[in-house]
Amino acid sequence: MPIEIDEPINVGAVFSRGAIKPVWFSWNGRQIRIREVTFSWKTQEGSAGLLHFSVADGQGLYEIVYNMTTMGWRILNAE
Amino acid sequence: MTRNILHLDMNAFFASVEQRANPALRGKPMAVIGSKHRGVILSPSYEARAFGVKTGMTYGEAKQACPDITMVPADSAKYSHACETLMEVWKDFTPLVEMFSIDEAFLDVTGCDALFGDPVRIAIRIKERVWNETRLTCSIGIGPNKLLAKLGSDMQKPDGLVLISPDDVADVLEDMPVKEICGIGPNLTRHLAAMGIFTCGELGRAPLQQLITKFGIVGERLHDMGLGRDDDPVIPLAIQDEEEAKSMGHSMTLDVDCSDIIMIERHILQLSEKVGRRLRRGSYSGRTVSLTLRYADFHTFTKQRRLRHGVNHGLDIHATAVALLHEIQPKQAIRLVGVSVSGLERNATQMPLFEDERKKKFISEAMDDINDQHGEFTVTWGTLAHRNHHERIISPAWRPTGDRQY
Repeated sequence: MPIEIDEPINVGAVFSRGAIKPVWFSWNGRQIRIREVTFSWKTQEGSAGLLHFSVADGQGLYEIVYNMTTMGWRILNAE
Repeated sequence: MTRNILHLDMNAFFASVEQRANPALRGKPMAVIGSKHRGVILSPSYEARAFGVKTGMTYGEAKQACPDITMVPADSAKYSHACETLMEVWKDFTPLVEMFSIDEAFLDVTGCDALFGDPVRIAIRIKERVWNETRLTCSIGIGPNKLLAKLGSDMQKPDGLVLISPDDVADVLEDMPVKEICGIGPNLTRHLAAMGIFTCGELGRAPLQQLITKFGIVGERLHDMGLGRDDDPVIPLAIQDEEEAKSMGHSMTLDVDCSDIIMIERHILQLSEKVGRRLRRGSYSGRTVSLTLRYADFHTFTKQRRLRHGVNHGLDIHATAVALLHEIQPKQAIRLVGVSVSGLERNATQMPLFEDERKKKFISEAMDDINDQHGEFTVTWGTLAHRNHHERIISPAWRPTGDRQY
């Protein structure tokens, strides 16, 4: 079962042709390299659009989210 | 002119989305359930279906059928986004796309041959695009009308493609059980069986007058169904959106059965606020407030009250729903609570005459502005500080645009 986290994180991502591809993120003192973006989807929080990414590093699955208004990233859960 | 209608049915949609999102679930028996803590099976994967797990089973029934099954709570944001992506694919082939449910759609591709090839070629191209963009599969039925297209998509799952051409209709329907036709449910099937009608072939041959005598105007429709006739047009989403809503409501299955009236009133307030928000967003107000309760033993009932004036404020809806709750005096612990407002009118509210009512309206508008900007329930009543944070379940009425997008 996923563990709920909801913490700000640093993310390395490629912004290209209107798409965002996260490549790595730092969490818990280590850098996690993303092997696969397994799914992505959008939600809305008030006027802010949020882009969710389900990402796998080969060992775990994480949900990270990009806030298009604040331009900040958060990690929401891990399993 | 013969129409070319496609019916697309996404295979085990919610489960397939979760298997895409989580590689550990791929190829394994799993199911999407209503809530983290309990609920019924909403969408079993094909691997789980092989063990006999079906939509609507309880958690316990599914576990009994397949002890190794993994349950995943529903995440409606994922499914609605996937549906929006699919819509964009479908609209590249024809503007005539009718959403039948979140995972089913009709496409009228009549006259699209010059652009995309014959209907089978179009169906193959759609399946390729759907796979490339979502890694999901769908079954497609092709027919001269919606009835036969839907029948076709049901005939081959998963990832099927079935063409029912006008020349094949009689052969396909001859031995097809009537219950396979969309619109003929268990009750009608029973009534038809009592008349000695079991297959579509028999239904088509049954005297029209006999069917009308038994079923009224539905008899004529049944006769047409038996012959594979259906003139219903594909209604594109833009027109579906323009149709006025008849009611708006929300419900929630509680994490545990609840007998505490104060707690139930709090859940009713939360639901009333959500209903009020949607009504105001669509400039609706409604005169009939309904409260639905489900007891722990699954006995479900609805009580409603018609008001003298239309309401769209959460507190007004709450007051009526709570009055209904007190009239009911629940005899058992409650499993599910639902609040809805019907008898809707658009743009029917006017500026309140009295100061207190005006204040209430202004407060409500200010709260809406803040919540529009910062998210639902950013500003709300203190009673809802400890509200239920359960995931919402997508209603069958959900559509990617318009009043039914929520």
